[in-house]
Amino acid sequence: MQLKISDLSFSYNKKEKVLNDFNLEINKGEVAALVGRSGSGKSTILRLTAGLEIPDSGRIEIAGKTVVDEQKFLAPEKRKVGMVFQDYALFPHLNVYQNISFGIDHLSKKKRKERTAELLELVNLAGFEKRYPHQLSGGQQQRIALARTLAPGPKLLLLDEPFSNLDTELRDKIRKELKSIIKEIGITTILVSHDKNDAEFMAEKEILLN
Amino acid sequence: MQLLKKLKKGSPGWYILTLVIIFFLLLPNFNIIINLFAEVSENWEHVREYLLINYFHNTLILILGSGFLSALLGAGLAWLIIAYDFPGRRFLNWALILPLAVPPYIGAYVYAGIFNFTGPVQRLLRNYFSITIEQRYFDLMNLRGAVFIYTIFLFPYVYLMTKAFLAKQSSSLLESSRLLGKSDYSIFLKIILPLSRGAIIAGSSLVIMEVLNDYGVVKYFGISTFTTAIFNSWFGMGDLATSVRLAVTAMLLIVVILFIEKLLRGGRKYSYSTSKLRPLRRRQLSGRSKFLAMFLSYSVFTVAFIIPMFQLIYWSILSRGGNFSEVLNHALTSFFTAAGAAAIIIIGAVIVANTARMSSKLIANILGRITILGYSIPGAVIAVGILLFMLQLDLLFDYLNLYFGIETNLVLSSTLLMLIFAYTVRFLGIAFNSVDSGYDKIGESYFEAARTLGKGVTTTFFKVDLPMLKPALLSGYLLVFIEVMKELPLTLILRPFNFDTLATRAFEYANDEMIYRAADLSLVLIIFSALAIYIITHQRRRRKNAAEN
Ligand SMILES: Nc1ncnc2c1ncn2[C@@H]1O[C@H](COP(=O)(O)OP(=O)(O)OP(=O)(O)O)[C@@H](O)[C@H]1O
Ligand SMILES: [Mg+2]
Repeated sequence: MQLKISDLSFSYNKKEKVLNDFNLEINKGEVAALVGRSGSGKSTILRLTAGLEIPDSGRIEIAGKTVVDEQKFLAPEKRKVGMVFQDYALFPHLNVYQNISFGIDHLSKKKRKERTAELLELVNLAGFEKRYPHQLSGGQQQRIALARTLAPGPKLLLLDEPFSNLDTELRDKIRKELKSIIKEIGITTILVSHDKNDAEFMAEKEILLN
Repeated sequence: MQLLKKLKKGSPGWYILTLVIIFFLLLPNFNIIINLFAEVSENWEHVREYLLINYFHNTLILILGSGFLSALLGAGLAWLIIAYDFPGRRFLNWALILPLAVPPYIGAYVYAGIFNFTGPVQRLLRNYFSITIEQRYFDLMNLRGAVFIYTIFLFPYVYLMTKAFLAKQSSSLLESSRLLGKSDYSIFLKIILPLSRGAIIAGSSLVIMEVLNDYGVVKYFGISTFTTAIFNSWFGMGDLATSVRLAVTAMLLIVVILFIEKLLRGGRKYSYSTSKLRPLRRRQLSGRSKFLAMFLSYSVFTVAFIIPMFQLIYWSILSRGGNFSEVLNHALTSFFTAAGAAAIIIIGAVIVANTARMSSKLIANILGRITILGYSIPGAVIAVGILLFMLQLDLLFDYLNLYFGIETNLVLSSTLLMLIFAYTVRFLGIAFNSVDSGYDKIGESYFEAARTLGKGVTTTFFKVDLPMLKPALLSGYLLVFIEVMKELPLTLILRPFNFDTLATRAFEYANDEMIYRAADLSLVLIIFSALAIYIITHQRRRRKNAAEN
């Protein structure tokens, strides 16, 4: 089991609970889609998994290791969970190369170069190293964000509405590319989507929130 | 888990540093409040019985008068600059901030000089028109005159706040009212004023804080306020107990003012429009209204900046043979003190702001309140608090000396360190606001992205936050720099022996009626501050252009 969420409860404020005893299991290499109406807590589940929010109660295990429960809270930087943000959050003061190598600067310079080149190849953007985020199109930004997330080799990939910022034409193309990239590296993935079609196309498993 | 949730994504180092900073920020205030229970002196009885009511009366007139008039002037000009286009608008847009570079006490002696019996105005009337007018019409050195001085040199606070608010509003608001057949005049009164009430009041309360803090103008004009009374009892009579009582009374007044401010602003949220909405489109003015707009805004600029500058230059020329090395000396002292203090203050502000950002809303709010506290308390009051602290330290050192034979030649009273500590207490809030709004603009997702990429809070801070905060840091730094340059009461009370800034020296010369000698010093001070304002306004513009391209 790559991700196991048990009896997870969470609220942003005292008034309303966003999640109440939520459970989820995802196997290694599986691609799962979270679907549900707006405000049902899809993004919240991803944020809890990444360690960006702290649950009221419950437990999350990643690759057999407990990352949060009643006693324990593992900081996001120690979880090895990759997340692609809805607005991509590419660092505007860093170029593409620096963005992608941001999470792997513990490697030697040579290794870093190799890894970055490999990832740029993977997302079909070889040769873009020197560009800055504002010099990229929306679709290119998204692929760089994916490459950056994959660089440190996360155990789990979280995608929050990966297609929402793209127009329909691009959407089809990116969807196919994304699927093949995920398949190629065989990474366990959770993606959030509004769109039933996206979910069916991408995922082996659908989790419905209400 | 609940506590962890409150502190959220923090790391302990940041919280500890922040706690230390907050402790020092609050220290002077605690000292004052604790000493409230100390014995009262006879002098205080006298002050309370006969003088206190006068201090209240004068202070109230000054803050209400300048608060109201700056609101009118600042909001009116902001509206003019935001909603209309006329020749010179682009220049006035930032030039109307320049009066802030002129410390009110310098403005006060300049205008007093212009209007007195031997000044240019009366000379002109006497010599060319043979008119001699009763002196009392020209007498600036009273409450009315002080309100005039405060208004023209402090209104930019309201102007800045209101302008920033209006610039965020959507044009559909204005267009729909125009389509409904409202005149511009009634749009201003019925829509713009109520809508920007929060911003106008925020600006006015900054003006009021500055007025409460002021020592130079009231001293020069001979008006008794809390600040002058604190000075008198401390400097004049060495009566710390009375200064403390006065400081506490002033603090009570401030609590009331802050409360009223909150009440006036109301708890409601203002609809900040998103960037997707079109910004207000300026209307091109022509004919009479064009000239009226130009006349209004240029006259304000002339009165609040050009005239004082010319008068100072004139005096400076008259005083040729003025002491160049003296000016250079004080300029260097001022510059390095302000530059150094601003650096320390911005570092403190960044630490607190970063902690606030990692904490829950509640804690972030409390931190924001505490940092701004020092700015709402008059410098003279802070100085009293710090004096008390230094006395305690000296006692401690005496004790160490007596019982342990530890020699300490570290005499903290009146050292540069204490002065910089005082500046930090007073101005950290200004820097904090800049940094905090910088963080607001960046948003959370870069921080979170860096965290999920395996970086801790501190690494993220240096690699991601800091580079992205640069413009906000520069603005905050320069704002504090200007404030420290202009600062008078704290510096006068706490400065080390023989330590003179441009501000203190200019003030002393003017106070001794050696206005010509004050002129050079004042000019240098204003030029430093004006340059800082120029950099702040133009860095913003550069960024805006970059974002649009
Ligand atoms: N920072 C926050 N503070 C308070 N409440 C929040 C916060 N973020 C989200 N919420 C609330 O929590 C609930 C779940 O939000 P979440 O973003 O997880 O929904 P979602 O399923 O991702 O919705 P969408 O499909 O619109 O993105 C919503 O009711 C939302 O209003
Ligand atoms: Mg969402």
